[in-house]
Amino acid sequence: MSSHYEAPIRRPLIVGDKNYHDISVDVAAPVEGKANKLWWTAFSIALVAFLWGLGCIIYTIGTGIGVWGLNKTVGWAWDITNFVWWVGIGHAGTLISAVLLLFRQKWRMGINRSAEAMTIFSVVQAGLFPIIHMGRVWNAHFVLPLPNQFGTLWTNFNSPLLWDVFAISTYLSVSLVFWWTGLLPDFAMLRDRAIRPFQKKIYGLLSFGWTGRAKDWQRFEEVSLVLAGLATPLVLSVHTIVSFDFATSVIPGWHTTIFPPYFVAGAVFSGFAMVNTLLIIMRKVSNLEAYITKQHIELMNIVIMITGSIVGCAYITELFIAWYSGVEYEQYAFLNRATGPYWWAYLLMMSCNVFSPQFMWFKRLRTSITFSFIISIVVNIGMWFERFVIIVTSLHRDYLPSSWTMFSPTFVDIGIFIGTIGFFFVLFLLYARTFPVIAQAEVKSILKSSGEKYKKLRDGNHE
Amino acid sequence: MASNKKYWKSIEELNEKSAIVDTLKQNEFFEEIPTDLFLGDKKTLEASSTTRRDFLKYVGFTTAAVTLASCEGPVVKSIPYIIKPNDIIPGVAEYYATTIADGFDFANVLVKVREGRPIKIEPNKDANGTTNARVQASVLSLYDSLRLKGPKANGAQISWNEADQQIIAKLNEVKALGLPIAVLTGTSASPSTKKLIAKFNETFENVAHVEYDAVSESAALDAFEEMYGSRALPDYHLEKAEVIVSIGADFLGSWQGGGFEAGYSKGRVPTSGKMSRHIQFESNMSLSGANADKRIMVKPSEQNQVLLNLYQAVVNGTVSSDATPLNVAVQKAAEQLKTSGSKAVVLTGIQDKNAQLLALAINKALNSEVLDVSATKNIRKGNDADVAQLIADMNEGKIGAVIIHNSNPVYTLPNSTAFVEGLKKVKLSVAFSMQDNETANAVQYTLATPHYLESWGDVEIKKGQYSLVQPTIKTLFNTRQFQDSLLAWTGSAATYYDFLKETWNTEILGGKSWNQALHDGVFTSDAAQSEAISLEVDLETAASQLAEVKGSDLELQLYVKIGLGDGQMANNPWLQEFPDPITRTSWDNYLTMSKADADALGAINKNEANGALNGSLVELTLNGVSEILPVLIQPGQAKGSLGLALGYGRTQGLKAEMQTGKNAYKFYNDFNTFQPNISLKLVAGEHEFACVQLQNTLMGRGDIIKETTLEIYNDSSLDPKHTWNKSAMVSLDHQEVEANSVDLWESFDRSIGHHFNLSIDLNSCTGCGACVIACHAENNVPVVGKAEIRRSRDMHWLRIDRYYSHEEDFEGDNEKKEAGKGAMGFKNAMDALEDPSENPSVAFQPVMCQHCNHAPCETVCPVAATSHGRQGQNQMAYNRCVGTRYCANNCPYKVRRFNWFEYPNNSKFDYNMNDDLGKMVLNPDVVVRSRGVMEKCSMCVQMTQATILKAKKEGRPVNTNEFETACSNACTAGAMVFGDVNKPEDTVKSLAEDKRAYHLLEHIGTKPNVVYHVKVRNIQEA
Repeated sequence: MSSHYEAPIRRPLIVGDKNYHDISVDVAAPVEGKANKLWWTAFSIALVAFLWGLGCIIYTIGTGIGVWGLNKTVGWAWDITNFVWWVGIGHAGTLISAVLLLFRQKWRMGINRSAEAMTIFSVVQAGLFPIIHMGRVWNAHFVLPLPNQFGTLWTNFNSPLLWDVFAISTYLSVSLVFWWTGLLPDFAMLRDRAIRPFQKKIYGLLSFGWTGRAKDWQRFEEVSLVLAGLATPLVLSVHTIVSFDFATSVIPGWHTTIFPPYFVAGAVFSGFAMVNTLLIIMRKVSNLEAYITKQHIELMNIVIMITGSIVGCAYITELFIAWYSGVEYEQYAFLNRATGPYWWAYLLMMSCNVFSPQFMWFKRLRTSITFSFIISIVVNIGMWFERFVIIVTSLHRDYLPSSWTMFSPTFVDIGIFIGTIGFFFVLFLLYARTFPVIAQAEVKSILKSSGEKYKKLRDGNHE
Repeated sequence: MASNKKYWKSIEELNEKSAIVDTLKQNEFFEEIPTDLFLGDKKTLEASSTTRRDFLKYVGFTTAAVTLASCEGPVVKSIPYIIKPNDIIPGVAEYYATTIADGFDFANVLVKVREGRPIKIEPNKDANGTTNARVQASVLSLYDSLRLKGPKANGAQISWNEADQQIIAKLNEVKALGLPIAVLTGTSASPSTKKLIAKFNETFENVAHVEYDAVSESAALDAFEEMYGSRALPDYHLEKAEVIVSIGADFLGSWQGGGFEAGYSKGRVPTSGKMSRHIQFESNMSLSGANADKRIMVKPSEQNQVLLNLYQAVVNGTVSSDATPLNVAVQKAAEQLKTSGSKAVVLTGIQDKNAQLLALAINKALNSEVLDVSATKNIRKGNDADVAQLIADMNEGKIGAVIIHNSNPVYTLPNSTAFVEGLKKVKLSVAFSMQDNETANAVQYTLATPHYLESWGDVEIKKGQYSLVQPTIKTLFNTRQFQDSLLAWTGSAATYYDFLKETWNTEILGGKSWNQALHDGVFTSDAAQSEAISLEVDLETAASQLAEVKGSDLELQLYVKIGLGDGQMANNPWLQEFPDPITRTSWDNYLTMSKADADALGAINKNEANGALNGSLVELTLNGVSEILPVLIQPGQAKGSLGLALGYGRTQGLKAEMQTGKNAYKFYNDFNTFQPNISLKLVAGEHEFACVQLQNTLMGRGDIIKETTLEIYNDSSLDPKHTWNKSAMVSLDHQEVEANSVDLWESFDRSIGHHFNLSIDLNSCTGCGACVIACHAENNVPVVGKAEIRRSRDMHWLRIDRYYSHEEDFEGDNEKKEAGKGAMGFKNAMDALEDPSENPSVAFQPVMCQHCNHAPCETVCPVAATSHGRQGQNQMAYNRCVGTRYCANNCPYKVRRFNWFEYPNNSKFDYNMNDDLGKMVLNPDVVVRSRGVMEKCSMCVQMTQATILKAKKEGRPVNTNEFETACSNACTAGAMVFGDVNKPEDTVKSLAEDKRAYHLLEHIGTKPNVVYHVKVRNIQEA
């Protein structure tokens, strides 16, 4: 990560009068300091939600999937909606850290650590659903191609659900390794600063004995690049495969070839929105405004605007193709989606995902922290409804009108969803207090080129 | 395999003559055991804490304990034979011919018995037996946990001896007083029982036998008696009919005891280019009306007018001058009747003797071959006047004793309070009952009777056709047959079996073999049948009396549902959960009402967020009797008429879950299903229905149910594949080709071995639902209860979809859909198509797993739990299923059913699978599914495999048409035909290639193994 000359027209990525030591201090502060009341409040709420969700999961497993609102026609609803939603959110991390790394986008350095943490935590939530949605969780290992005494009894490699198993587990493991690799020098920094022996020991272990030799750095750079190369196709593959769950089926509204790119765009869209949600809070609470600047927020807003528009195009294309296909089942599926009993969900999806990001065309709005925060929330609501619309409104009225019915969630459906949000925040809040939330090693590498202080110095010299 | 490996124990063995090795060989114990040393040393012995006595104690205790423990081994109640009976082979079913005659249903059946347990009822086809849903379900009532388990006196248990002594004493007391003894029974049609009651009369004198049908056919019986001299019901051979005009007769339901669907369906298959034309005038949407070619809605009171006009037109040739649409329709019907002449028939369900007389007169005038007045039926005998007289006499204290058998008058009588009061005034009241029902609780002595599967008996269903009832299991409880009790009270030592056998040998068999008759279950007497004599009847008076029947603004038409019948099997969960073929609502009765009437009243039907149907409540009042009833808006219900099903609202002798609906018998005044002068009031609140089909119309999707008319069908210039049975087309290499010619995969070679197909003829399917219950029984399908049905979680493997048209017919729907141009036009058309027409065309379609050769479910299962069998079935490996439900989502037919909960052994689902008794009905060949697995129709793989095995054991190929499934076996109408398409002789082979054959949703390319046949309607008006 060489830091070379950067055009003066570029806005600084690190604002304020920061030097290397300041960065270390700022990043280590949340870890070394004591948690405030706000953190404890947030943590308690998240923990309660998590435990409530856990209770609902235990109730489901103990009693049967019947405690959910599903029925003979709608076999998936909130379970798979939540699954796809969380997987989608999990997309931003890898995109930011891998793709932007390959494209040499330096602004990613301020946010990639947290974005990746978010990815891993949300993939953990996502992974829960395919497991607990099984009627017989205790046989979940059947989906793994394990050798068994039956010889020929193997998993069905035709099934997109099996592809999901591989896609999600690969994604989780690669993301985890990538994240951890980036964490090594930062853990080492925390280790070196730690005063208490226990803390020192722990961070020593976590940093895998990082010494900071030139060789360490050289390997670090290489591994990062290789992993970025590996992770980039995953960004596309994971959600593509998730979309195959629907695209390879025969149900009108699911059976759509546009799904892979549309799902990937939607995933990036929702992922960036979630990153915005988290970082807007974190930069304030953890005093990291110098590193996660307005410019970062603005850039992410632009990505949201673009992917939101792609998703919007996909929605329109779907409608057009349904009409153009001349297949009445297809036509009805989309008519029903937009104007049927779940029109409100479709309207929510449309307004949250297609219309709300269009505000980002205005610089004033996309640089407004409050507005960005609101939009980030709105987008995630919209994206949840997108999955709900795809799954439920396609299923509830498919081919034979005799089987048409409706879906309504039970408290357990809702409880489990809230539980995963709680679980996500439990993990994220713990992370915010124990992990270096900014890739300080990387940020330091651009301090001289993109730091405000140095830019000023340099620009001043030119004057 | 013995090993000849040599193991070296030590290096010494290398030495050939090693002393050590030798010593070791000689000496098993290397060191000497110091027994002598130990025993010899008294000191050590005494120092030991275990004395000899202690040792013996320990030995004794251990031996005893081990012995005891081995006595208490786990009891596996599987096959309890110590000495195996010769004819019972575990795992092989035995079939016994018997007869159901419960007073409402009469049928010759075969009982499938496994290891001594009757588990399924099948029609005895050799004896022309037919089964409906109730008969199919009757086996479950045998294992009803709330059955009476022994005799009771005033609610307290009593022994049979004591009961006999007390009853005989009282009977003698009554005899001494000279008071009559009334024996009140349902229709039994049993020659031996009749003889036995006569014998009983000899002993106790003054015995009056009153027969009583809960749902009366008294009017028809009286009319027939007046016209043909005998109190019986004529038979109708509907297969001979070219024109059937029915006025309020639900002959596909339980009109005059039912059983007409086989003949009707035979006349409806247009293969020969001909089919019957069926015109129905009715108020409620009945199963018959739903199957009619033309259905005209009339109020119950107008039915009389229709019949009168028809009578005038056919018999007198007078035409009503008033050209109202109704009169025109009647006129057209009359013309068609006259054109077809002896091949036409008029049926009526009007409960009025005059109406029945006129209908008979029309048939007589037509010289109808359909009407059979010589081989009459005995399945309804109830006499309304006798029953009314009995109640009056009881209340006046004129009756000494009442003995009730096979009847629940306290529940079914409209004036049951008068009956209960009367019961209090008689010296002795006895009820023979299987259940602890309303009547059983209102009498002094309640005597527990066995189920018909535990009983002996005989029935003369039709004149000259005698059927036998034989037990298929030893009585489960301390029960005794009504007939055995009568024998005991008359002082006879004989059992009813002896009595029955003697009666048969002396009076019926005429020297033929009793054993053969018992084996066949039926015996047809050769005794010459007397021709019916036709008497002169004053028809003009009948016509003028009928014309005087007054209607009113709102009229109630009571009816009987296919599921519950007269209500005697209300504790049968299969029947409670059986969706009504018309409304598709289970677990309820309700007031059916036309949309117009409902709107005027402000009554609504609406769906909750999860789709469940709710309806407004109304208070119905008739002659001061009122009841709060839920409203179900029924397309096809005549404006100004209301429908309400009998048989619901029972409260005694049922589990809480089964106490569904409201008792409509209290409105059944004078045993007439037509009740005018109804007043209705909307009341607050909503009723929760358990409806399994929430979308009533076909939405113009004409490729799901293909229909055409007889004219088009017979037009040989048309190529069916491009006209009335259009093949689905897809584009392949920019060419339009038939969808089923395109293949994404390489197909398996299906020409070897068996390849099963199921053919369903939409023309002969009446929607009766016998197959639904047969499937329930055969495949251990769980009952889930009302609350779960409301959540759209019914478990039926086989369902019968019922669609209403939005326009006059389904073709109109298709046109409306096509006419909806542009986005808004399409939307408007679709929105409109959601609502059924006021008087819709109706179509039924049985749907079960289609066993697609290219099954969408198979590709998506991650664990390959559902995969294709070599014989064409799509199979489920329950043990492998993890329950992702992906297969169900991807099933275009939505036939897969998920086990949302653990249904067996779960007190939340307190139906037959929750008690040991109810579980006896389970079919041991089919696994009971656990929670979390997907299940669905298996094409009765256990039955086809059994057929193959049987043929193999007998060393022969499988016979033609030998393969059967539970549904095809139960289908009396012959709509479902199952077989092997690789066997050219099997009927299904030609059916699958018929020009009417099509596959459901062909365009998806699933290539199902279930074949449907295009429904042909006969709309020719002249």
